[in-house]
Amino acid sequence: MRELQDTEMESTPTIWAVGGGKGGVGKSVVSTILAFWLARKGKRTVLIDADLGGANLHTLLGIKSPPRTLIDFINREFGSLEEICIDTEAKNLRLISGASEVLSLANPHFSQKVKLINHFSRLDADYVVIDLGAGTSFNVLDFFLSAHEKIIVLTPEPTSIQNAYIFVRNAVYRKLSRLSSKNPSLQTLVKIAMDPKNELQVRTVKELLQFIQESGGKDEARAIEKEIGEIRPAVITNMVRDNKEKNAGRIVQIVAEKYLMIQSTNLGSVSYDRQIFSMVSDMVSLLKLDQSSHASANIYEILTKLLGE
Amino acid sequence: MNDRIDKQNSIINRIVDGSVTIDSVAEFEKLLKAFPNDPWLHRAFADLLKREKSFYPAADTYGTSAKLFIEADMTLQSIVSKIHEWRILKPSYQEEEAFYSTLHQCRSKEMGIQRFFIKMKYPEIVAFMSELGPRHFPPGSMMKKFGDEENDLYFVVSGALEETIYHRKERDGKIQKKTTKNLMENDFFGEIYPFEEENVSRSAIETLTRVEFAKISKSSLMTICRKYPNVQPLVEGLYKSRSESDKKGLLRTVRKRVRHQLPTQVNLKIFPNESDKAPLDVDGFTEDISLDGARVVLSKDFESGHLDTLVGKNVKIRIYLPAAFVSLSILGTTAWSKSVSLPEKTTAVVGIQFKDMTNTDRRLLQSYHYGSEGEQNLIWSLWDSLMEK
Repeated sequence: MRELQDTEMESTPTIWAVGGGKGGVGKSVVSTILAFWLARKGKRTVLIDADLGGANLHTLLGIKSPPRTLIDFINREFGSLEEICIDTEAKNLRLISGASEVLSLANPHFSQKVKLINHFSRLDADYVVIDLGAGTSFNVLDFFLSAHEKIIVLTPEPTSIQNAYIFVRNAVYRKLSRLSSKNPSLQTLVKIAMDPKNELQVRTVKELLQFIQESGGKDEARAIEKEIGEIRPAVITNMVRDNKEKNAGRIVQIVAEKYLMIQSTNLGSVSYDRQIFSMVSDMVSLLKLDQSSHASANIYEILTKLLGE
Repeated sequence: MNDRIDKQNSIINRIVDGSVTIDSVAEFEKLLKAFPNDPWLHRAFADLLKREKSFYPAADTYGTSAKLFIEADMTLQSIVSKIHEWRILKPSYQEEEAFYSTLHQCRSKEMGIQRFFIKMKYPEIVAFMSELGPRHFPPGSMMKKFGDEENDLYFVVSGALEETIYHRKERDGKIQKKTTKNLMENDFFGEIYPFEEENVSRSAIETLTRVEFAKISKSSLMTICRKYPNVQPLVEGLYKSRSESDKKGLLRTVRKRVRHQLPTQVNLKIFPNESDKAPLDVDGFTEDISLDGARVVLSKDFESGHLDTLVGKNVKIRIYLPAAFVSLSILGTTAWSKSVSLPEKTTAVVGIQFKDMTNTDRRLLQSYHYGSEGEQNLIWSLWDSLMEK
């Protein structure tokens, strides 16, 4: 029995979600190259396109028209995600092509999302990499929060830094909202504290926890702090052109620690790479990317950090 | 349109702000294949063609960008593209007139600067355009120092600037640095009105990114106003609209104002003019949102085909803000709509102009965009200390 449990545990894939708020910062490129390197290391990997509004991860893998997409699974044309996985040119790497809007606009109920997340966990793979796409809708945040590794991609631009931070902030508040929904008295306290019309002026997670504590909810405050502390996002700064720009991720890290009471990891940076840019424009598969390119090497280094090697 | 939704805005921004230079025609052509409807990209390509002395293709490409800017409701940018085109190829009367009528296709007239251009009559706009001089400046250029004479009016075509406004201390009359605010595309500066006043600058303005301006001198503007009496009230209206938005203190409170492209789930209730009809209830997501309004892509459930019926209606927009624990409802008006292709379906994108909202709602929306004041300040001071070059 013990052996069976171990086998079961081993067969559950580790899920990485890649988000970041703003469109165009290279989340899909980073997801694809991370998945590629995982596969090259012999890890059976599935890349999932959960991009809002423009599911096109398949084009980065040189697949013109995916025969099956996530929508076919959601519409129950296929009973398992395994059936909609598409092989790619790379050994060990499969793709689940996205269905635009399905995750974000059709607004599946929380239970449906949980079901989908459970299906992600049942994939026959070592790693599942989910490219979340832009935005901070509840669905994007729920998929982000459910992942084992929560990766944020940003570029060294003010808007991107701001949006990446707002993405993390919204993820924290989403978790808070879900936690409090399970506990009616806590929910009342949170609603009072966060109601913009009251005079408490609670603006940060720290102030909220203080308020809950002072209102007699010492244990609840401690539990929330623990749960939020588990978010621990990992930040990647993409399209970096010089040493100063590498600090962009550090900004998100510092602000999140101070205002959201979460510790994040700075995974490092990826150099701006014109080759990638041309390949994306030409719709050439990123699997053909020169592996000695700076960006590819940077992502390989990031991967070793993520794997704890 | 779909290209805008799809992505890579970031790289196009970088080309426009000059942090990425593409100097190969072939590379540009590839990019344009991928993003055929991006006016900024066409504009940057036209600049490259002009630098390479391919004048006819450059004029053609400036023309395309002017057309695409109009479609995106960017009047100033369209005018500037047209100026570049006409500096290469002198326009015929018919071409001038055709452009004048296209300017009126601009659906969104809520900005002072748009009203300013659109309300000019045909000979007035031609006279104005002939005096308007576009020019680029690199980041870190000091455009105006405290105490400089105010002789020119500048319109910001692209890029960002920081204005530091100085005030005198009441006690000893000494000058002290007071506030900073940011100027972005479609803002203007240069205190040249009322014309009879000889103003000196009370602020210093420096470019934060590469910036393109369109400049007109005070003397040229005065000449136009003398010849075309309709223009002076428009100039007055332009300055008035700026002081009104300054009074409202809306976007000015935030350092480095930006348009936000955080797709956010919303629900719209669009009210028909007939009171007995039920409102159209449709979900969507914001493609672009600010404190003034939003562009909303309607969900696939929406049956496109009667786009015009969406325009000019009262609308209640409900925005689901994860940080607010409540949804935010704002009243507004639908300013324009157009069709947009999403995979498997054509739907509509609607431009919504927000009406007055309560301070609480504004604070909520602002906090959603930028975080609280403390969070914003920390981000920007870290930006200044860790990133500024």
